Amino acid sequence: MANPESGRDILIERVATAFRERDAEGRVVASPAWWDLAPEDREVTFDLQLLSRCLERAADPKGLSTTARAVLARVKEVGRLE
Amino acid sequence: MSELDDDFRRAQSGDPMGFEDWVRKVELPLRKGLRSFARHVDVEAIVQESLLRLWVLRSTLSLKGENASLRYALTVVRNLALQEAKRLQRFVPLPEDPDYSPDPPALPRSDPPPDPILRSAISDCIARLPAQPRNALVARLEGGGAEPDRALAARLHMRVNTFLQNVVRARRHLTECLESRGISIMEMM
Repeated sequence: MANPESGRDILIERVATAFRERDAEGRVVASPAWWDLAPEDREVTFDLQLLSRCLERAADPKGLSTTARAVLARVKEVGRLE
Repeated sequence: MSELDDDFRRAQSGDPMGFEDWVRKVELPLRKGLRSFARHVDVEAIVQESLLRLWVLRSTLSLKGENASLRYALTVVRNLALQEAKRLQRFVPLPEDPDYSPDPPALPRSDPPPDPILRSAISDCIARLPAQPRNALVARLEGGGAEPDRALAARLHMRVNTFLQNVVRARRHLTECLESRGISIMEMM
């Protein structure tokens, strides 16, 4: 079967995840793959991120996207460190 | 005082559930407010960093007026996006933002509660996906944004590129399945 997923689709999907690394000071940093996106594909990625977060909210019993869950997990982690 | 203001007050008093309720309501308006920055910054990173800063700052803030916390949060995300865009472009001024409005965007219609019928349809469509795409998409959902794709892929014994191909396929099949049930993905946005 032919593979319809292009390298572009995969690069965009790589950035669509809510997972983000943190720098040494704990700040959230951009996805390394974001730098490889063409300007017009950054807009496509924005839309895919928005769509993904909407689907995640709709699928989650508490109505939370993976972005919200990542932030709340970090808040809990920071709370434990305080 | 709006429900959103009440959530933020609870967060200010140290209640993590208040912050959770507030984040659930403001995430989409904040994200949508950054559309004009999409070419200049990774919006996902800006949204997360802004929400974390708001958690840290919350108890120091004295906000007045209906939905003041949303208006303040919009200022925080825009300022952070602007700083990041300037830093990345070595301080070349950005063009004026044609979408800028001092008024906060509307809160999502579906907030709260989540729609159980929609959730059931999504769950059923996910269950009908071919195995590999389903496993990849479920791993992303269950990972909750806390794990990189390389870790999720390794758990599924997939290469990262194979994992990503499967997520792309899963999205395509899921969209088709939902649309066959009269559910428009675009309307969720």
